[in-house]
Amino acid sequence: MAKIGVFICHCGENIGAKVDCSRLAEALGEHPGVAVSVEYKYFCSDPGQESVKKAIRDNNLTGVVVAACSPRMHEATFRKACAEAGLNPYQCEIANIREQCSWVHTDKDMATEKAMDITRSMVEKVKRNNNLQPIEVPVTRRALVIGGGIAGIQAALDIANAGQEVVLVEREPSLGGHMAQLSETFPTLDCSQCIMTPRMVEAAQHPNIRLLTYAEIESVDGYIGNFKVKVRMKSRCVDMNSCTGCGDCITKCPLKKIPSEFDCGLGKRTAIYTPFAQSVPNKPVIDKANCIYFKNGKCKICTKSCQFNSINFEMQDEFIELEIGAIVVATGFQVQNNAQYGEYGYGKYPDVINGLQFERLASASGPTAGKILRPSDGKEPQTVVFIQCAGSRDPSKGVRYCSKICCMYTAKHAMLYAHKVHDGKTHIFYMDIRAAGKGYDEFSRRAIEEDEASYVRGRVSKVWQENGKLMVRGVDTLLGKPVEIAADMVVLATTMIPQPDAKEFAKTIGIGYDEYGFYNEAHLKLRPVESSTAGIFLAGACQSPKDIPDSVAQASASASKVLALFSKDKLEREPVIAINNEATCAGCWGCVLACPYNAIEKKDILDRSGRLIKRVAFVNPGLCQGCGTCVTFCRSNSIDLAGFTEKQIFAEVMGL
Amino acid sequence: MITQEQYRTRVKELLSSGTVKMVIGYKPGSTPDRRRPLFIRTAEEANRLVLDSACITNLSGYLVTEGLLSDEKKVAIFLRPEGIRSINILAAESQLNADQIIILGFDSTGSVVKTLDGTHAGDFSELLGSIKQNSPVKPSEVLFEQVEQMTPAERFAFWQEEFSRCIKCYACRQACPMCYCRRCIVDSNQPQWVNTSSHTLGNFEWNIVRAFHLAGRCVECGNCGRACPVNIPLRLINRRMAQEVIEAFDHFPGLNQTQEPVLASFKKDDSETFIL
Ligand SMILES: Cc1cc2nc3c(=O)[nH]c(=O)nc-3n(C[C@H](O)[C@H](O)[C@H](O)COP(=O)(O)OP(=O)(O)OC[C@H]3O[C@@H](n4cnc5c(N)ncnc54)[C@H](O)[C@@H]3O)c2cc1C
Ligand code: SF4
Ligand code: SF4
Ligand code: SF4
Ligand code: SF4
Repeated sequence: MAKIGVFICHCGENIGAKVDCSRLAEALGEHPGVAVSVEYKYFCSDPGQESVKKAIRDNNLTGVVVAACSPRMHEATFRKACAEAGLNPYQCEIANIREQCSWVHTDKDMATEKAMDITRSMVEKVKRNNNLQPIEVPVTRRALVIGGGIAGIQAALDIANAGQEVVLVEREPSLGGHMAQLSETFPTLDCSQCIMTPRMVEAAQHPNIRLLTYAEIESVDGYIGNFKVKVRMKSRCVDMNSCTGCGDCITKCPLKKIPSEFDCGLGKRTAIYTPFAQSVPNKPVIDKANCIYFKNGKCKICTKSCQFNSINFEMQDEFIELEIGAIVVATGFQVQNNAQYGEYGYGKYPDVINGLQFERLASASGPTAGKILRPSDGKEPQTVVFIQCAGSRDPSKGVRYCSKICCMYTAKHAMLYAHKVHDGKTHIFYMDIRAAGKGYDEFSRRAIEEDEASYVRGRVSKVWQENGKLMVRGVDTLLGKPVEIAADMVVLATTMIPQPDAKEFAKTIGIGYDEYGFYNEAHLKLRPVESSTAGIFLAGACQSPKDIPDSVAQASASASKVLALFSKDKLEREPVIAINNEATCAGCWGCVLACPYNAIEKKDILDRSGRLIKRVAFVNPGLCQGCGTCVTFCRSNSIDLAGFTEKQIFAEVMGL
Repeated sequence: MITQEQYRTRVKELLSSGTVKMVIGYKPGSTPDRRRPLFIRTAEEANRLVLDSACITNLSGYLVTEGLLSDEKKVAIFLRPEGIRSINILAAESQLNADQIIILGFDSTGSVVKTLDGTHAGDFSELLGSIKQNSPVKPSEVLFEQVEQMTPAERFAFWQEEFSRCIKCYACRQACPMCYCRRCIVDSNQPQWVNTSSHTLGNFEWNIVRAFHLAGRCVECGNCGRACPVNIPLRLINRRMAQEVIEAFDHFPGLNQTQEPVLASFKKDDSETFIL
């Protein structure tokens, strides 16, 4: 016979203020099958848990219902306590009377009634709970890091330095991401390439890191500890083994005017190219969209110039299958295209550029070798206007969020400009200066006090060209006056937005994303580097706009999560898995198709002489994640989910 | 009646040559405008076959009767385009091997019956494709439009009234070629999800479950509605679900044997409008 213990928690005032816990305990005490019904201020506390254990032992309870907060909070806590008292942990259920009741209601009487319903419904479920045993699954100790920007490189190095294997996949021909494009970095103004390139080289040469560049993730199957990943190695048309990176082909390629992506269109490149001089690996690829041979079948000049016979126009994409235990997603961001702000003239006037383009102008490795020269005529601009929040915090046309790094990089740009053009003038239109971070406010103060950046608090309404100048009209809200500035160059502090394919990619690997396409963490405060999919972690700007220190910190945090996972041989998994009734299964294979984890196989049922009687679905317990999709799909109602069986759920519903 | 004669000759050939072990067709029914299914195994019986515009039942459900096809021998069957679509769905859901089915296809306009070219389900893909282009398959009817125009409250009242006659005989299920499960959800009583008693709740439960289980699979053959002893206009529900599925997923069931069941498959470009 069922002997259920009901433990009603006040959660301090959280529940106690809105639910009459004494009444609740009394009412549940009268419910059939309930042997104990008690209340307490904090059951999750040590004495609270002890009292639950004691009640189990003293009364030989067969099941426990803790009426408290969300099971996400403390289900594990109470199941552990039950196990310690000798009860199968899966005989413990949580009735959520906080998030689903006290927090959302104001009328105490009605909230109490509702809490009774919720708790009774759980008692009815627990009466039908079965003893379950956790499932053990092996862990493949190999991590996949997707994205070779600073975040991905940092995560890969941390995992590799701890002695575990890493596969680092980057879709561009070289590692580096955006950080490789930056000139100098706030708040210390050290040269980005000087701190970045050694990391890139270290990652490429690390014995524990397998680097796959110019590669894309085709598919991710499986689950934590046991992912199966297919990678497409895009054909470079250059044999990585024999190519020495001498660059003869690049010098000979007749196409020299392709806008360089790395230089944000301010510089030019050839059709066979490396994105930048310090590329890792320093071996070229052929840009098939532009290459003359791929367009009309003639040319192959590069082939002739290569002493090592490394160029192969017939090269095809190849596929690699990987067994992976954990994944770090570090796919970064892109900057928004400002052409949608017609009033700023981006795309119309060549001297209106974005922040990333300014980085290239200021970079020693950039198209102007670090001289600030404006794109239209190569002259040194004497007056530069910076417009902050170009796209950020603008619900009407841009994005609602703050891009976080633009205040800082604009201050940096003003400083870099002042250091290079000593008599130049800078004007910065801003909404607020958000400089929270170690050394950040000091940094932006320096831009104002030492490098004489003139900050104008207000928005720009229009930029137009007049007598060879860019006229900037805005408003100074502190003076309450309109301002007009004749500038030689305008720099837009463009918003960081998700990669163009961020949402699609999230679906490929099976993680969640927000309305913009930034990847969702499992819990913003308590689990900020885990995605909601077990075994997949996040690092860097793919999660939200971030600067380098934040990206690196998150990457190291992800690496530590991966290492914690790899510290065990086997993972213990919840035994919440689907079980199919072979007698009633119609073999329609709907569940096979519907299962997002490919956990369902087709099984032959044979008679004694080995003749096929019928084919039915079979759930592989190692693969099933207990999502319940198949249960909802099966028309013949053949599948049941352990821990959430139809009987349990039915009883729960009827208990309401 | 040229078609009937042609087909009788075909059937004789098929049976006497041993190409098929059985032919499923129609014979006269209890009234002049009714036809019954006929199952014949010898060429001599072929003359009992009738084929005219009154042959409207979708016979494909008989193919999945337990064991009929398990000897891997072939069976020939008279089918309208809806029936051919059912074959494709049954094949896509692994209930039969379409290679075993020889199709004697026909269709009718008014009282004129015409033959359809082809012998296997795959031969009719062009025809079925053109039906999709012209979907909805059946011309709209006044009652359907009326129900569409109703407010949700009126519509609820309408169906409550209609369903109040339902006696849970499950004739609609028995008649439907898509209802092939060995144990239907309504027969499962541990727990009893669908209430068997004939009151509003139970009636809605059954008919809504039926509608959902047929969504994206129903070919609008009308077997269910004709089987219903109390004339509940089940076709209106089928039509509505067919429209939903084509609008939401551009899915027209039964086009070919490789079509994935719409409610079990996910595509990256599926619209997410229904996810709240
Ligand atoms: C104008 C500007 C100036 C800045 N200045 C500073 C500064 O001074 N100081 C500072 O701290 N921060 C600065 N930042 C911010 C800095 O650039 C970012 O914090 C940093 O680059 C984030 O690194 P990440 O690795 O997360 O992303 P990224 O650098 O974007 O790297 C992501 C990598 O992943 C690859 N990738 C993407 N999708 C896939 C895929 N599907 N498969 C495989 N690979 C993929 C990309 O090709 C890329 O290499 C600046 C940013 C901008 C725009
Ligand atoms: S969905 Fe149900 S009936 Fe169909 S194969 Fe799966 S378990 Fe069997
Ligand atoms: S519950 Fe069903 S659909 Fe979900 S993972 Fe398990 S077998 Fe697949
Ligand atoms: S639900 Fe009715 S109309 Fe649809 S396939 Fe079944 S019997 Fe035919
Ligand atoms: S055939 Fe008609 S009466 Fe019988 S179960 Fe179906 S809808 Fe109800």
